Amino acid sequence: MNGWLAPLRAAWEGLQERLIFLPPFPDQLDTLALFSLLLVVGLLVGEWLRTRWGWPRVLGYVLAGTFFGPAMLGWIDFAALAQMRPLADAAHGLLLMEIGRRLDIRWLFRNWVLMRGTLSDIVFSFLAIFVFSYAVAGLTPAWAAATAAVTMASAPAVVLLVIEEANGQGQVSERIILHTALGSAAAFIVFAVVLGVVHAQYSADWLNALVHPLWVALGAALIAWLMSWLALVLARRLPKGSLAQVFVLVAAALLAVGVARMLSVPIFLTLFLTGAVLAYRDADKTLSYTNLPEGHWLLAIILFVVVGASLPWQDFTWLTGLQALGLLVVRAGAKLLAPALAGGSLPMEKRLLVGVGIQPLSATAIFMAFELASLYPEIGRSALTLAFFAAALMEIVGPLLCRFAITRAGEAAGEGNEGRNVL
Amino acid sequence: MSEVKTTEGAGKELLVFTESAALTLGVELEMQLLSPRDFDLTRGATDLLSILDYDNRFGDIKLEITESMIEVGTLPRHSVDEIGADLDGLRQVLVKECARNNIVICGGGTHPFHRWPERRISPGERYAQTFNRYGYLAKQFTVFGQHIHVGCASADDAIWLTQALCPFVPFFIALSASSPFVDGVDTFFQSARLNAVSAFPLSGQCPELRDWAHFNEYYALLKDCGIIRSIKDLYWDVRPKPEYGTVEIRVCDTPLGVTQAAALAAFAQCLARHLLRTRPPYNAHLHLHVARYNKFQACRYGLDALLSSPVKRGQEPLREVLSDLLDSLVEDAVALGCSHWLESLRAPLDGTPSDADWLRERYARQRNLNDVVRESSIRFAQEALMPIKEAKQ
Repeated sequence: MNGWLAPLRAAWEGLQERLIFLPPFPDQLDTLALFSLLLVVGLLVGEWLRTRWGWPRVLGYVLAGTFFGPAMLGWIDFAALAQMRPLADAAHGLLLMEIGRRLDIRWLFRNWVLMRGTLSDIVFSFLAIFVFSYAVAGLTPAWAAATAAVTMASAPAVVLLVIEEANGQGQVSERIILHTALGSAAAFIVFAVVLGVVHAQYSADWLNALVHPLWVALGAALIAWLMSWLALVLARRLPKGSLAQVFVLVAAALLAVGVARMLSVPIFLTLFLTGAVLAYRDADKTLSYTNLPEGHWLLAIILFVVVGASLPWQDFTWLTGLQALGLLVVRAGAKLLAPALAGGSLPMEKRLLVGVGIQPLSATAIFMAFELASLYPEIGRSALTLAFFAAALMEIVGPLLCRFAITRAGEAAGEGNEGRNVL
Repeated sequence: MSEVKTTEGAGKELLVFTESAALTLGVELEMQLLSPRDFDLTRGATDLLSILDYDNRFGDIKLEITESMIEVGTLPRHSVDEIGADLDGLRQVLVKECARNNIVICGGGTHPFHRWPERRISPGERYAQTFNRYGYLAKQFTVFGQHIHVGCASADDAIWLTQALCPFVPFFIALSASSPFVDGVDTFFQSARLNAVSAFPLSGQCPELRDWAHFNEYYALLKDCGIIRSIKDLYWDVRPKPEYGTVEIRVCDTPLGVTQAAALAAFAQCLARHLLRTRPPYNAHLHLHVARYNKFQACRYGLDALLSSPVKRGQEPLREVLSDLLDSLVEDAVALGCSHWLESLRAPLDGTPSDADWLRERYARQRNLNDVVRESSIRFAQEALMPIKEAKQ
């Protein structure tokens, strides 16, 4: 490229002597410009996959990120990724808040089968991954627990976007959302406890080992409670479902992010809890009818391009690849077994489809793994390689499985009687 | 499930009327299935029916044209008290089963703000054929009505009653009106539901028919001309239902609560008895001139409608005519043991808000339709059948 740019560079440098305002010849594309191009590419790939194969758009975004990221073409380097990370965090946070808002705790008390199913999912998934990571992959108990905490839950962002894209409505879609929300809540709590365990393993400082998880859990809960209270107080003065209420929702989320960052409390846990507390406390449905604007799909593109670019394919080895595959197999078994054994009146096929629909593993796991790895940079990254690769593999397959479950259950829009019978 | 029986006669297929005990009753209600998140319609009918824990003790629960609807039907009963008990039983079953599956159920003739293109046709050959035949009208038919069946001892009685009930259609519309909102706006109608029905080619009033044989001739003509395939293609306001041995009144909106649904059944039963007993002269030809106008008046203004009388050659307030009619049905109500139900219909005449008024009042207070539907669903779930003794007092 430099060859055919040489005459242009020479001409530019010639002009620089006379035009004092000219900057040095731009050797590299500005990060923002590059990223916007990548967003367009991601968007086009997503739309093509959707139109050509009926696959979820999210998959296209991830593939674009992976292809142009540091592991492959390298057009997005680590510095560019770091610059884009706050935007991706905001996107992810908003989607987590949305899944929190969809969590209907009261439904669990109206249907104990669901309580049984979701608790089984949490317990089986954690135990299966922990045992595999410890006994088969040979991780220490602390890192095996960390791997289990990071990968035990389904991917809220993927599930939400795939269901929204398919306009999925029905028992399978509803239960996938419920499992994902509760699984994420459990994963966040286990993650906080695991933080303490990892601290204990690497330091004799027991005070930090005990207080850090408490700081994380209580801090996030307190911020969530305050933000939801503030959002509801403000929103009550505004018309329901109005644009002004959307601003209140987004402002509360951003404020929660800011306060969480100030106090070093995990942003995602805070936003998820903010959403969940909002849903629980909103008895008058003050904010229930207010949805994120369609613009959140733009945020989703940013999120999944960044996630795709963050996947550490450059560290890939066949051994870790196989281990990651093994982890995903035991995880899949646990997630299929939980709803299947929970019983209830939902037919077995649909219960298994719930198990298929909660297989995705994505942004939350990747970001949680990065967060933990950053605390122990020397060992964390390699200790969590298994989690990273499991997430990387499922990043590609997960959206397809979720989409398959909703379609197979007959809950995607356009799958009905009319599609096949119009003359 | 009953099926239409046919026989051969004069080289033609003739419908057979299954005779039933006179004045027995049955009520069907089409109900809305909602998402608890925003109270928009949701596709829940197939799932709900497949996991329903219910033994049909109060009647059946079945699919309707789109997956956001469900239809409940009582068992055939002799008294309105029994119909009321069935409806209340069905209400309790549905509220409980829906809650278990995170679905909300409610009454009302239309959903105030759903988007009809998002509706999905229910599985089944019959629904697929309806969609093939009527296109988008089938999805727009996601409206919710109450159908009242009145048993007839003979086929000729059924045809006579089908026609004799036609002038009373506006009263059923006005008393049940609960669909003022469509597509997110106030239609200024008390019952906008029937506008969705009137788009169907064989909707409205039945033609002038002498007896069952004449009806069979007419039916054969429509079938030979390829206009209908079965009696289900007749979307008349009042139509005979040969497989049940009944006359079916189809113009009522589904009320917001089951008490009003039972009261409307009482009105139908008393009116049918009164007509069959007194056999008033009925000029179908003359009535046809005003039928559409009077129906429009009832849909648009409800109890405040002005009815045109082709006999008196003038207009009369529906409210006054209805009040007189209720007075004239007292003797029949006593004989049928449903006076308490019939009397409850006087409440809206005396100023108690009708269902349509109630919905508008809620909208004026809440300023959003999601909450209107939410309050309707709470009303349906919590408004148990008015205790019969209390109603008698």
